[in-house]
Amino acid sequence: MIALADPLPERVRRGASGIVGTIVILLAWELAARALAGAYILAAPSDVVVHILQNSDLIWRALRETLGNATLGYVLGNLAAIGLAGAALAWPRAEPVVAGLALLVFCLPLVATGPILRVLYGPGPGPQITLAALAVYYTTFVPLLVGLRAAPASWFELLRSYGRGRLAELVHIRARASLPYLFAGLQIAAPAAFLGAMVGEFTGAERGLGLLAIRAIRALDIAGIWALASISAAVSILIYTAVGWLSRAVLRDPPPMILAPPALPRTGHAQGLAATVMRTAFVLAMALLLWWGAMTTFDLNPFFAKRPDDVWVALFTATDARETRETLAGALGETVVFLLPGFAGGLALGAGLAILLTLAPALTPSATLIAVALRSVPILTTAPLIVLLLGRGAAGTITLVAVMVFFPTFVACLHGLRQAPGQILDVFSTYAAGPFARLWHVQVPVMLPAFFAAARMSVPASVLAVTVVEWLATGRGIGSLMALSASLSDYDMLWSSVVIVSVLSALGYAGIGWVERRVLTVFASEQVAR
Amino acid sequence: MVANTDNGASPDIQCRSLTKAFPGNVEVLRPLDLEIAGGETTALVGPSGCGKSTLLRLIAGLETPSAGEVLIGGVSPAEMLRDAGLAVAFQDPSLLPWRSVRGNIELALKLARRPADPRAVEDLIRLVGLEGFADTRPGALSGGMRQRAAIARSMVTRPRLLLLDEPFGAVDELTRRQLADDLPPLWEKRQTTTLLVTHSIGEAVLLSDRVLVLTPRPAEIIADIRIELERPRAPAVTGSTEFRRLVEAVSEALAEGVRATKPPLAAQ
Ligand SMILES: Nc1ncnc2c1ncn2[C@@H]1O[C@H](COP(=O)(O)OP(=O)(O)O)[C@@H](O)[C@H]1O
Ligand SMILES: [Mg+2]
Repeated sequence: MIALADPLPERVRRGASGIVGTIVILLAWELAARALAGAYILAAPSDVVVHILQNSDLIWRALRETLGNATLGYVLGNLAAIGLAGAALAWPRAEPVVAGLALLVFCLPLVATGPILRVLYGPGPGPQITLAALAVYYTTFVPLLVGLRAAPASWFELLRSYGRGRLAELVHIRARASLPYLFAGLQIAAPAAFLGAMVGEFTGAERGLGLLAIRAIRALDIAGIWALASISAAVSILIYTAVGWLSRAVLRDPPPMILAPPALPRTGHAQGLAATVMRTAFVLAMALLLWWGAMTTFDLNPFFAKRPDDVWVALFTATDARETRETLAGALGETVVFLLPGFAGGLALGAGLAILLTLAPALTPSATLIAVALRSVPILTTAPLIVLLLGRGAAGTITLVAVMVFFPTFVACLHGLRQAPGQILDVFSTYAAGPFARLWHVQVPVMLPAFFAAARMSVPASVLAVTVVEWLATGRGIGSLMALSASLSDYDMLWSSVVIVSVLSALGYAGIGWVERRVLTVFASEQVAR
Repeated sequence: MVANTDNGASPDIQCRSLTKAFPGNVEVLRPLDLEIAGGETTALVGPSGCGKSTLLRLIAGLETPSAGEVLIGGVSPAEMLRDAGLAVAFQDPSLLPWRSVRGNIELALKLARRPADPRAVEDLIRLVGLEGFADTRPGALSGGMRQRAAIARSMVTRPRLLLLDEPFGAVDELTRRQLADDLPPLWEKRQTTTLLVTHSIGEAVLLSDRVLVLTPRPAEIIADIRIELERPRAPAVTGSTEFRRLVEAVSEALAEGVRATKPPLAAQ
């Protein structure tokens, strides 16, 4: 029998420190707001509370609307993820295509997809729900697929030794072994769905928190902006915590690390460059076919529902094709200048801080607590704040991208560092090895898969961040171009930018996967050999 | 008592020119011919890495031969698997971590499509000395306890062919002696054909009717030694001269196998 340690004192201690921390933050916030009064940057918590109370009816209705859409999108997106993972498991040969298509769709820039969905759906909550689903399915699909395989070969042999096949594998092993992974995905998905719904509302909804946020920004209603950002943050932390609590109640044992899933699986298929190119070409062809098929099946108006050939014409054969390309390239250039430093900075800070904290373990618990809480905040809902604080220039945009990348990376790396097997660390202790030796030989290699997984997932996230800021605030770059094209009904430009951004993001994702495999082969070969 | 007798209660095993090579030209089995009589307990002894587990897995139908064939009671391992006629206790206990000891043992019955049999499950838990741990999950057990749970699981379906891959590797000496007393009579009573992989020479002699000694990889049978010690074997048998002679013979064969394949030091 295991003697279960009484968890209560620890919980109480953490709860208490959480409450104390919150009070301290609120006090500092209030004081800062009072000091900066008149600068139109910071609303004091008291003002925020007053604003919320004064507009409670409005906010409450908007919150219900957004939550409703987010919930529906959450359910649909996760069902899609489960379906996709099931398909990839059932037909392993189809997995590269399923995974590739899923990635491509995940890389759709929501900022442009929103307006397109708006005209496709017409009025109503359709786009918000779809964007919420799009924001969640991939982060569930990837860990679930890993989880469905996360069992030692000998368990499957046990089943085979009783003459049982794949169905029994699914029932007795895979379904159960994948649960922690599924829950990890579901937990990340909860705030993401909320964010997706809000982005959907940014792009022309009649109701919801996103709409209120847009109005507050336009009106420079500082208390309103802060109130809405606080509410979004609080709701996100709440649902993130709730799903985490649910998963602990169901699983009893703590969820495992999400190990690096390969960008494209190397399950015994032909390897090498030629095979990769073939596979990529096939995925792209499938994507074009599905795109064309969907537009034709639903017989959508070609004025706003562009087909692949329309985009081809717009980009290459139309009389103004050259201008279109130059406009796109110019906008992309402006975006990349902000995106890359933010992305790299967020990764470096996240990994660096995690490593620093490992050297100073006393600080780790509180830092983790804060990071996990903030990790669940869809930072983007606070985009207006960051723009308010840092202005509409480079600093604001880069910071926002970095923050968007920082939190998931930091949490993943901390988690990864903690996966270092105790026995191996004990071996190091017996040789009186210092903390740097442990770090270099054990902890960092163990952390790498988590780091790369976070880096990959951060590609679409950082694209989302940069486009939202450009669109809401800076008026530059591809995000702004998308917004402009949407408002001018320039659907050729809008679809072209969707295609270019998705393909570039997917390539970035695959590129990190490529680096990852090379690095892991050197530092953590056992993680690659799976 | 034997639960089902359709394919013969205690199947014999025949390996004909059995060959196995892994990708990368890892030759594990040279063409190997082997006959094992039904109902006997046979021990496979050999240096680690020589191919014992591979041979066991070939017989279990978990690995396909590169050439040659295995017949169990005249049928292929695949057919044997189909009606859950065999059971394996793997070298790594392979217990499902979310099931208790009892749950893991019951799972075997479920997988073999046999009716639930709480009496048999409890009896086996007691036999392997895990009473009091029936509701414990594997994560909270020691390595030896896990192995014992795996042994119990392998026996609950009353397999006609029982394949044990170093089942006592992590089991403590005292419990091991207890199991050496308790298990063979049960195998005899059920007329189970048992194949036991071990690297403990004493264990091989104590438990089995026949010891096969393998050379280092690629495995060849270098000695085939009958164990004519009387059953049931009292613990005191290990002190007998006959027992010591047999242990001596097995270790001599083992050393001979290693000498034959390993170039002398001077030549290196
Ligand atoms: N799947 C495999 N692929 C390649 N080599 C293998 C595989 N399984 C076992 N081997 C090799 O075959 C040899 C025999 O392995 P095994 O049968 O497990 O030995 P043991 O006698 O210790 O049980 C070893 O050298 C091992 O490295
Ligand atoms: Mg072995």
